Amino acid sequence: MTALAEKANIITSSLDFIVNWGRKNSLWPFPYGTACCAIEFMSTETARYDLSRIGSEYVRFTPRQSDVLLVAGTITYKQAPILKRIYEQMAEPRWVIAMGACASSGGFYDAYCTVPGIDHIIPVDVYIGGCPPRPESFFDAMFQLQEKIQDESYMKARAERVKEQLEMIKAKTAECKENAEKAVKNAVSCGVQTIKEGKDNLMKKVAFWKE
Amino acid sequence: MADCEKLLAILEEKFGAKRDLADKWGFTVLVERENLHALMLFLRDDQSAKFDVLLDIVGVDYLGFKDYEGPRFAVEYVLKTMKAPVRRMRVKVLVSETDCKVPSIADLYAIANWQEREVFDQYGVVFEGHPDLRRLLNHAEFEGHPLRKDYPAHKRQWLSTNDYLLPELEARLESKGYKIVARSKEVMPNDDEYLEGSRKV
Amino acid sequence: MIVINPNGEQQALMPLNVGPSHPATHGCLRYMAAMDGETIVACETEIGYLHRGFEKMAERGTWQQVLPYTDRLNYCSAIMNNIAYCRAVEEMLGIEIPERTKVIRVIVNELSRMADHCICVAAAAQDLGSTTGFFYLFDSREKTMVIWEKLTGARLTNSYSRIGGLYRDLYNGFEEDVLDVCNTAERNLKDVHACFDRNRIFLDRTTNVGVISPERAISYGWTGPCLRATGVASDLRKDEPYYDYETYDWNVVVGTKGDVYDRLMVRLAEIEESIKIVRQALKRLKPGPIDIVDPRIRVPAHALAYQDMEALIGRFKSVYEGIRVPKGEHYCGSETANGELGFTLISDGSGKPWRIKVRPPCLTQFAAYQELVEGSMLADSMATLSSINIIAGELDR
Repeated sequence: MTALAEKANIITSSLDFIVNWGRKNSLWPFPYGTACCAIEFMSTETARYDLSRIGSEYVRFTPRQSDVLLVAGTITYKQAPILKRIYEQMAEPRWVIAMGACASSGGFYDAYCTVPGIDHIIPVDVYIGGCPPRPESFFDAMFQLQEKIQDESYMKARAERVKEQLEMIKAKTAECKENAEKAVKNAVSCGVQTIKEGKDNLMKKVAFWKE
Repeated sequence: MADCEKLLAILEEKFGAKRDLADKWGFTVLVERENLHALMLFLRDDQSAKFDVLLDIVGVDYLGFKDYEGPRFAVEYVLKTMKAPVRRMRVKVLVSETDCKVPSIADLYAIANWQEREVFDQYGVVFEGHPDLRRLLNHAEFEGHPLRKDYPAHKRQWLSTNDYLLPELEARLESKGYKIVARSKEVMPNDDEYLEGSRKV
Repeated sequence: MIVINPNGEQQALMPLNVGPSHPATHGCLRYMAAMDGETIVACETEIGYLHRGFEKMAERGTWQQVLPYTDRLNYCSAIMNNIAYCRAVEEMLGIEIPERTKVIRVIVNELSRMADHCICVAAAAQDLGSTTGFFYLFDSREKTMVIWEKLTGARLTNSYSRIGGLYRDLYNGFEEDVLDVCNTAERNLKDVHACFDRNRIFLDRTTNVGVISPERAISYGWTGPCLRATGVASDLRKDEPYYDYETYDWNVVVGTKGDVYDRLMVRLAEIEESIKIVRQALKRLKPGPIDIVDPRIRVPAHALAYQDMEALIGRFKSVYEGIRVPKGEHYCGSETANGELGFTLISDGSGKPWRIKVRPPCLTQFAAYQELVEGSMLADSMATLSSINIIAGELDR
């Protein structure tokens, strides 16, 4: 049973395909826009470089309803705890895009107040370079994120989640097997002993009758 | 320029102000900090000056300035008027490091409140008489004054968690005539919610 | 929290944190409001969430290396910040830029102003609920950005102006593109006015909301369209003209009441005035040099450095030592889209700045936010916030 739960097969991979297709084509961004990259993001969402053609129909300014945390702009140390809290408030599945040089690495603000890259605070999936990145770069990043999502596997994720339970199940099964073997051995030895006793009794009876 | 000279003569006579020679392009006046408040009041209200717009308050650190002898800090006020003949001028006050205090003009101009807070934040100059002198731009757990020349630019300081603004809000309510009877509870984050690399205060 | 108000009654107020992560791109502002139902009784603001250390970074390099940092101050109209900074340094150096540069700087200034006002009103429209207005206003801005890309190489933060001139000359077809932008902007303005002028909802939400008196605004140091909306006809381009602004035929737009409606309408009307200036300036473009001929200030062209010894030396010294600005202190303010952007430059005679202080117009407007909002409702505070056009890059530097 455990071996079946871990291995991917045609059913799980079809499920993966459908789930990932749905997720990657409806990425709702949460633009955590602080600085200039946010203005370039606004240009990306308006009519010329339309963002809704890849499924991000309207931006959700709340972490509870969004999939992609799009950090656009410099993050300072004052802002950092808030970014962390917003990331934690997002529900899984969630991804993070670091847009622009400031979010990826601190940009050219090598100062006492800027965080040198948001990966010091939250895990990042895609980094976009540029100051600010062109809308085409932004689309490229979204497509890369879509490819990344496509390669995700529901079974793998499930295996990660249930790894502990599977370990426990394995351990329990091994224990039961051991107990069963021990019991069988006991029973066998008991049986052997009864047979031997029976044989002994019989031998004694035979000897008695002989005499 | 004649108007500048006239104004300078009046200011020199009343407040002991001298012309600052570092500003070769405009009109800057150097004054002692004891006379600062009276000078600013005069500049704002008097008919010959009428500087009703305080544009900026600049803090300067002269540590390491070539061929400079004098107090380490300076606070400069940039003024503007649309009515009187002298349209723009600046007022400069020199502040020494050991006695880093300047009288506040937050009661004369409404914007001076925030601008003085910023100079305090970046340089550490204390403004006496300021209603609420706290940091403006850097976070609440920041130690030091970053724009001073001896503060290294790369020295980063983490913030553990954002502060509730409740004490300041209550102060504001009290200044409007409200009395606080029961405070709201501040819920601090759990231990594992603090940022790595930060210190908990 | 439970308080006793000045009348002696007991009230229960709720502290509401309108945090640094806002809808619409006014990120990085925070205020804690004590609410009595839907009304804000007291409000305490906090800024500094985008403090990037511009002033400390400026002391690191040379005078020319500050230019990209100035781009990112008011990033909606980046070229205006460049020109304001270059103008301040050029006044200190005492140089006079060529005629063609002046006209080009006026054209790009006014185009940036149009773009900035477009964004401000677009974001305000979106905050009020009208995504249509948002999309309409971005049309001319996108065309402007195509011009920026062809002219400077970047769409948004283009460091176009240089101390003593410009980055490079105009491209062929610039005039047609700019005229196209002007026509598009006029068309979009007509659409936007049709959306808003007699719209019951817009009028209800913006008139008599966030009112400030002219005296209070002046005490706060307001400048720019927000001050003009209160009725004070103060525009640096008319009061202390530079780059021949007094020779163009345009008007200063002034409002009456100082509420949100006036502030937004003043901006829309200023777009029309900017279109007038751009059209007149295009006719004045005459061929000529765009940089001053002084290798100590404006670095010679790259090709010349391979041929001419003085050009090579000029380039070398300019990059390694920087432009030597004479020792002294100077303040210079220019009229940008939000108000008077001022630079206090303190030089010690070397090629590196000793101190650069930016006077951001947004700071004065946000400092008054407390007064504007206390007594109004939460929804009104959103309208007020978007009308005073806070650009966090400028506010926090």
